[in-house]
Amino acid sequence: MAKYIVKRVLAAIATLFVLVTVVFFLVRLMPGEPFTNPKLTPEVAANMRSYYGFDKPLIEQYGTYINNLLHGNFGYSMKYTNKTVNSIIAETFPFSADLGIRALVMAISFGIVLGSLAALNRGKKLDFVCVIVAILGTSIPDFIMGCVLQYFFGIKWGLLPVAQYKGFSYTILPATALAFYTLASVSKLMRSSMLEVVQQDYIKTAKAKGLSKFRITWKHQLRNAIMPVITMLGPTVASVLTGTFVIESIFAIPGMGKYYVESVSNNDYAMILGMTVFYGFFLVFCNLIVDVAYGFVDPRVRIGKK
Amino acid sequence: MKSKKVLAMGLAGVMAFGMVGCSTPGSETTAAAGDTTTAAASAETTAAAGDSTTAAATENTSGLKVFRYATATDPTSLDSCKGNSVADNEVNHLIQEGLVRNNCGEIAPGLAESWEVSDDGLTYTFHLRDAKWSDGQAITSQDFLYAFQRLADPATAAPYAWILDGRVKNGGDVIGGKKPVSELGVSAPDDKTFVVELEYAQGYFLSLLGSVCEFTPQRQDIVEKYGTDYAASADKMMTYGPFTLTSSSNRQYVFEKNQDYWDADSINFDRIEMSVIETGDTQLAMYESGELDYVAVPTAQVPNYDDQDNEYMTGALDWVYINSQAEYVSNANFRLALNYAIDRETYNMLANSGTYTAWGNPVMPAVDGINATYGEEFQPDGYPINGDLTKAQEYLQAAMGEMGISDPSEITVEFTTTDAETNKKIAEVLQEMWQNNLGINVEIRQVTYAEIFGNVFPQHDYMVGYGGWAPDYADPYTYLELFMSENVYNYSQYSNTAFDDLMKQSTTITDAKTRLETLAQAEQLLLDDGAVVPLQVRTTHYLMDDDVTGVGFYFIGYNIDLVYGDCAPTA
Repeated sequence: MAKYIVKRVLAAIATLFVLVTVVFFLVRLMPGEPFTNPKLTPEVAANMRSYYGFDKPLIEQYGTYINNLLHGNFGYSMKYTNKTVNSIIAETFPFSADLGIRALVMAISFGIVLGSLAALNRGKKLDFVCVIVAILGTSIPDFIMGCVLQYFFGIKWGLLPVAQYKGFSYTILPATALAFYTLASVSKLMRSSMLEVVQQDYIKTAKAKGLSKFRITWKHQLRNAIMPVITMLGPTVASVLTGTFVIESIFAIPGMGKYYVESVSNNDYAMILGMTVFYGFFLVFCNLIVDVAYGFVDPRVRIGKK
Repeated sequence: MKSKKVLAMGLAGVMAFGMVGCSTPGSETTAAAGDTTTAAASAETTAAAGDSTTAAATENTSGLKVFRYATATDPTSLDSCKGNSVADNEVNHLIQEGLVRNNCGEIAPGLAESWEVSDDGLTYTFHLRDAKWSDGQAITSQDFLYAFQRLADPATAAPYAWILDGRVKNGGDVIGGKKPVSELGVSAPDDKTFVVELEYAQGYFLSLLGSVCEFTPQRQDIVEKYGTDYAASADKMMTYGPFTLTSSSNRQYVFEKNQDYWDADSINFDRIEMSVIETGDTQLAMYESGELDYVAVPTAQVPNYDDQDNEYMTGALDWVYINSQAEYVSNANFRLALNYAIDRETYNMLANSGTYTAWGNPVMPAVDGINATYGEEFQPDGYPINGDLTKAQEYLQAAMGEMGISDPSEITVEFTTTDAETNKKIAEVLQEMWQNNLGINVEIRQVTYAEIFGNVFPQHDYMVGYGGWAPDYADPYTYLELFMSENVYNYSQYSNTAFDDLMKQSTTITDAKTRLETLAQAEQLLLDDGAVVPLQVRTTHYLMDDDVTGVGFYFIGYNIDLVYGDCAPTA
């Protein structure tokens, strides 16, 4: 097991290094440059380029960047001139993560329950309801979901705050809007996975052994059916927790999403890199956790990977 | 069985944590950043309640005059030297003060009690009043000297440094690194006197000083103490102005009245809360639910608020740049045909839901005249707002004759614009008008924002293209100088000796009337030559609570001026 984990960790580090290198050089290929204010004179633009070290050879800049990165330093934003990318992440990530955790807890718990219930009641009314929820959830974009919730609960009925993020009541609408898609996909996946497992020989064996229906479902069906959901969780957790531009924007939540999206259109090199590396790190980390979790949940994985 | 129970309890715990247990991230920061008693009191309440839902409500504002509003863009910097946007200026306008204040066009004393201008208009001598930084140290002319020099210093890399170039003596050379900062035309003969020397007479100089943040004083010891982190947040800077910034975290800026401000009696708001909310519809929803006192109505929503909204001009003028060296458009008659073929009012309805002000001049009318605006007193008539198809055809025929073209469909004009959805619509409306009214072909080319201002316009790699200009001071010169042969922003490559001469002449005239007449003549030349296709003045429509008074709007530096605003106290 230890060997398996070490291998995974090393692979993760290598992935991150490739990511940083590729993104570092890719952003330089983007048309235009970070100082695109139409009012910059050539002299002022030159001063700014040298201030940020863009007048040095690219390979030297790369070396500096990697060195800073190893010290955990993402550098200064070029748009928000006095702020470091670290400080922006430190300020905004807690909001994105907070919202994401709420959404995930909601999505995963309801998704698994809903999907399982649908599978156990295949072809009945409850299944039908679950399928409808899944179709709606995966087909309605989250910004429409967000706007609809905001309009009815916030403006029309005045039950919940319209926007911003200042307390529990503020979190309900955005978390629900954000959870909806994941909830739907988890329930869909859970349903099909449950139905697949039910065909397996070991379920038949369990039935033949005379086990109770509850015991078969809980111990044999559910535990095996949950594997694909765990696989899906790695990337989902990473993307939900690091901020979703649209939901954050609709509900005016001071999260990371806006800075990530905006950095690209601003050509804010340090910010693009910092955000991408942070997101990449998070994604790789979540996948690593999933891989390791596999090893625990399913003995076949760690044996097979030897 | 035991392990399952543990698992179930753990899961329940996680859910509880996720759903209700933890308060939202902002609550601690808000409380920590504020140092006033109200903030401290609210922190306790918040902590005791264990749920920060009521954080905003328990902030004990009852009896205080609180103004809450939203802006769509984050300030880029709280460092007045590095400010570079309307949002930066708006924040600084509240928390800082320059030598003079520009109160929506009225020049009033600021940190300078009085000043003298030399007869040739080149030397301004300011006499400072007694005022103290928030730590009690006196504000001296050294603080102004430091701020001006820091702005110009290449090592600072201040984006707006160019404002000194060609205006303040030696500004260009200092920015370009050819002269040391000590050569910049500013001096502090004693602690209370500050002198600025200009390259040429600028009647608008005081108005400029009072409306942008770059000319406010800075404390050298504080700037150096924090280094590159100076002004990264409200607690890493020192200011002096009508208000004090008490918190800048989580995209909410809280300003509280500065009781030590010299003119504190004129300040009525106790507290201003500015939230950065980029979605206009969300801002509007918050205004509708009573969480904001002012909101700018999003363009698409303007028709729904026909009778309730007010409007102001932001100063930004949108136009179609013409590369006067490119094929076809190098012909002046053809450029005029393009100008006369557009019905600007219809265009504005189609492209901008009628929210902007259709405009046919290269200068915005609200800039300063003598007793009224330049638009009322001096400005020549622009292109007809509804176009003139007969004239357009005449100019087109003349142009085709000169170019040796018999059929207008042989002419193809390439229209460059950015990939923003609104800009695409603008290009399509103009394309339709030009194609239908002139019979020429128009092709649209879309590039990114970074490309159009990074490469396309500066390298003149276009035929015609959508752009515009926001004024830097309330004078026609701020727009007109873009068409001078040697100006770095002359994206049009427009070159006209008569125009250049008039412009240069205007800088030597000290009589305001003659000077503005000269500039009006220069504007007329641009109109005669079809140097550019003006389209509209940007206009913002807004809603404001009835109890709010004294809030002003302006088009240089900042847009909204809350300094002298007033409202009913919170119940």
